[in-house]
Amino acid sequence: MKNLSLKISTPDGNVFEGQAVKLDVRGICGELAVMAGHTAFMTAVKPGHCDLLFEDGSERRGELDGGILNVSADLTTLLASGFRWKE
Amino acid sequence: MPDTKALRTRIKSVDSTLHLTKAMGLVASSKLRRSGEAMMKARDYAASVRGVITRLTASKECERSAFMRRSGEDISRTRIIVIAGDRGMAGGYNANVFRLAAEYEGAQFIPIGKRACARFRNGDAVMDISSEHFSSEDAGKLARSLCSDFTAGKYDRLGIISTKYQSMLVQTARIEWLLPLERSESVGPGVSIIFEPDELTILGEVVPEYIAGIIAADIRESFASEVAARRNAMDAAGKNAGEMIEKLQLEYNRARQSAITQEITEIVAGAQN
Repeated sequence: MKNLSLKISTPDGNVFEGQAVKLDVRGICGELAVMAGHTAFMTAVKPGHCDLLFEDGSERRGELDGGILNVSADLTTLLASGFRWKE
Repeated sequence: MPDTKALRTRIKSVDSTLHLTKAMGLVASSKLRRSGEAMMKARDYAASVRGVITRLTASKECERSAFMRRSGEDISRTRIIVIAGDRGMAGGYNANVFRLAAEYEGAQFIPIGKRACARFRNGDAVMDISSEHFSSEDAGKLARSLCSDFTAGKYDRLGIISTKYQSMLVQTARIEWLLPLERSESVGPGVSIIFEPDELTILGEVVPEYIAGIIAADIRESFASEVAARRNAMDAAGKNAGEMIEKLQLEYNRARQSAITQEITEIVAGAQN
């Protein structure tokens, strides 16, 4: 599966910067997933889960306090005012 | 003849001040790197959110947003966040911030930092907000309440007074106006982008994030400025104390020598009689 370049940024620094297969968040219009090749779009993200799926099949789950999701051809940026990984 | 005992006491007192300034300078130095890193991270985030806001406010549709409502510049309906330090002994750091705030007399001030809280105490209410430990969650809470008050029409203008870190030696107090949002003209020739569901709704959701990001970034930058200002002030104070000790020591040696000379003269004069 193709990877997308993802950056999750907070006022306290980047919590993730790298490749992932899929990003799952709760947008203001409902649940959404972003994969490689997604059309360029921007939306606001509601507080809630933020799950990442990696190429090796592993997953990483996090929780954010709301933010902005900006998807462009070369980089997907999630700007979150607060973010915590669920380990 | 100068009193040698008094001189010795003064030398001791200046010496203990020297120790204090050295210790404070060392504490500031140790915080310098950490505060600089935190500032850079928060600056990056603020720049990204600012980019999103610039993009959104360029669209025609967003002109209808409550966050772009202009209702004059009445100072009593202006809220200003004032970011100062938790402690003094940082040269003109706090004074410069308060001098700038004094230009907006009559505005509703929201202080952050113990010094600012003491300065803008509201009646008997005890406020003790630390600027060093102000988290991004605290900034989020403050931003959300400020945004809902703005859309409810409780005030007309929101500004933030903070200190810009230019270099280790130069930090300047500045004011930045956050609300109402300015319409931006300059949007690069980017690819067409879909706004989900539309620009106006996204702007409404994003503005609290933007305000929170700017507050957090300005607090981190102000703290880095405070630490740098304190280190410079303590360096200068340490240098002054060193010079003062040297001068007093010279004076003390002279006084001591002249007392010895006088004593010898008296003994010789006594022996001759």
